[in-house]
Amino acid sequence: MENASWIRAMFEEGERLKDLYGPESLFDFTLGNPIEEPPQELKKELHDMVARQTPGMHRYMSNSGYGDVREQIAGFHRENSLLPFTGDHIIMTVGSAGGINVVMKALLDPGDEVLVMSPFFVEFMFYIGNHGGVMKLVETKEDFHLDMKAIEEAITEKTRAILINSPNNPTGAVYHEDELKELASLLARKKQEGHRIFLISDEAYRKLTYADTPLPDVFNLYDDAVAVYSHSKDLGLAGERIGYIAVSPCIADERPLIDAMIFANRILGFINAPALMQRLVGKFQKNSVDVSGYRRKRDAIYNILIESGFDVRPPAGTFYIFPKSPIEDDIEFIRVLQQHHILAVPGVGFGRRGYFRLAYCTEMGVIERSRSAFMEVGKLYR
Amino acid sequence: MEDRVILSNKIKKLVMDQEGWTRKMFEAGIRMKKDYGAENVYDFSLGNPEIEPPLSLKARLIELLEDPAPGMHRYMPNNGYEQVREEVAAYLSGRCGLPFTALHVFMTVGCAGGLNILFKAMLNRGDEVVLPSPFFWEFKNYIENFGAIPKIVDTKEDFQLDVGRIEAAITAKTRAILINSPNNPTGVVYSEESLKELADLLSRERRKGREIYIVADEAYRKLVYSEAPLPDLFGLYDLVITVTSHSKDLALAGERIGYVAISPHIADTPLLVSGLMIAIRALGFVNAPALFQRAVGSFQGSSVSIDDYRQKRDFLYDTLMEAGFECVKPTGAFYMFPRSPLPDEIEFVFKMQEEERILVVPGRGFGRKGYFRIAYCVPMETIVKARAGFLRAGKRYIGR
Repeated sequence: MENASWIRAMFEEGERLKDLYGPESLFDFTLGNPIEEPPQELKKELHDMVARQTPGMHRYMSNSGYGDVREQIAGFHRENSLLPFTGDHIIMTVGSAGGINVVMKALLDPGDEVLVMSPFFVEFMFYIGNHGGVMKLVETKEDFHLDMKAIEEAITEKTRAILINSPNNPTGAVYHEDELKELASLLARKKQEGHRIFLISDEAYRKLTYADTPLPDVFNLYDDAVAVYSHSKDLGLAGERIGYIAVSPCIADERPLIDAMIFANRILGFINAPALMQRLVGKFQKNSVDVSGYRRKRDAIYNILIESGFDVRPPAGTFYIFPKSPIEDDIEFIRVLQQHHILAVPGVGFGRRGYFRLAYCTEMGVIERSRSAFMEVGKLYR
Repeated sequence: MEDRVILSNKIKKLVMDQEGWTRKMFEAGIRMKKDYGAENVYDFSLGNPEIEPPLSLKARLIELLEDPAPGMHRYMPNNGYEQVREEVAAYLSGRCGLPFTALHVFMTVGCAGGLNILFKAMLNRGDEVVLPSPFFWEFKNYIENFGAIPKIVDTKEDFQLDVGRIEAAITAKTRAILINSPNNPTGVVYSEESLKELADLLSRERRKGREIYIVADEAYRKLVYSEAPLPDLFGLYDLVITVTSHSKDLALAGERIGYVAISPHIADTPLLVSGLMIAIRALGFVNAPALFQRAVGSFQGSSVSIDDYRQKRDFLYDTLMEAGFECVKPTGAFYMFPRSPLPDEIEFVFKMQEEERILVVPGRGFGRKGYFRIAYCVPMETIVKARAGFLRAGKRYIGR
């Protein structure tokens, strides 16, 4: 609760400052609540679906979701991975947050350990702790990429799974195929030694990458893989809570695992993913909000930070950037930013002191107008 | 380590517990529909109402989507849109005569989501929740999800609350009593008298320093057949939290929309709301689906037609009586819970399947052996066509 309340605390301070100075003169980079609208054709289809009023369209369906929607999504994964995904390997969920909870409930017994790469999205701590699991943090390297040695050292007899999140919140890092292959071979080695470790991949930002090469597909790298997706970011549907779990067809005994997840979806109170949104997203698996808009914003904020003298890496995905704080005390630095009307979240909120996170899923104008404020703050530490 | 199973031991046990007869029944049902055609199998096993939302609600949805407001699909505060919460609060204030505000309303992913976040926020490991039986089996899972313990207490012969038994079940660890009226699976509406008795008991406990909450699942609140409306718990006792969904009253089960309502008499409401905010995030719900929040705000006073359900209830109840079954006449919801003519109700349920192609659920699925549940939220035609089967079963097993 302590950690997670940072974002909220910042948000509330922001509200206070907005009242004080007016929202126009405030640069709010705290929340990952994308302002991008869903694609126009999706909005139209949503309207048309409701207007068609198909009988039964708002009723319960199977707890795993509509069969035809799951089949559509399986088709997307078949194409991506060339693996024999069927609708049975897909479970529709209440966003990826719901999906990860379902996966954890199915996998974890009290005391089981889950490795999480730090810096990390703090909610992971809850998702694991909810079901009696223990989160074991593993620091990433200086460039926020996987530190294989640290991962290997963190594995104990109780390690049940490793949870990765690429493209990453808060750093914007996208893991390369090479490092994922290295991770996969480490896990494969452990499996040969008789220790089965699941790879859980949170791919909520999957479609928000800026590189030309597509995101490596975890299903092609390691058999015991489960990936969790959401359409909050790629289709701009964050508030509608729609996502899904994809279970690798290469898992040797996948059926009981899938059944347990469907069961967990029920008893955790989700029951099923929202009906109307399931039908909608099934048709838009290949679509995404306009990434080029985010790329322009990334370039703008990155250039402003560099110009202002910050130590920062250009993010390869998501809409977050994670610069180094000029002073060790990131909380103190956040206060300095606030004095210049910039709202950001301290790195400690993601398990990494001495950094801060900016969410640039805002209007371009906010980024542009924030330039002089960042320049002024930069000057203070020259 | 090689024999480490794919599932956690905890979930494996839960899955196995339910496997046995539910799976067998479910599969038999599917097989039958295939063999005889779905229209020749009378499926009374599911509480999935085969009705449509009110036309005005559909119109409201279209209106929302015809002119989509920018940002209408984004995140909003974790407890939901303020305007929607205000609409719900106004409805509650009007209904109960208490000063509900938007703070007292917390939008949730259906009733099931509401109960889970509430228990996550309220319960410590080892805390006890009194649960009158028969009960909706998932309640047990919702309580156990957070390491708390359901204390199952039988109701009376007529399925009304047995406050004496409840009193006997209360311990220092009792944190709440979870009631569900109109009740799934019995269709019984708890009488005002019994609720007053419960409130008196809890008030006495409170004076002894025990703060026990009434958590009321009111998913079926608007499905009541009697003239008298459902007694209002908020007026009977201070520590009341209700959890509601629009699955049944607005026929939106698949859309997962409901809310938690906190009594204005509860002093610690801001703290409880903060706890719920954390819980709804931690459990991964994050917020209730955005579009349907906006849709239901102005439909608080509405409901699907109760008259259709009443007709179905009357026809089915008369059929059961004529066949000789013993059954408490339901005054709410869309369930009936007759006594099984065979001591082992699972045997009877399978007989009904095999001999009459009638699908019902054994009472032990609701914590009460020797009974079975009929969900009559099906087309009237199904009930009419199943009549002969019930009558024959009556002759065969009850001996008329």
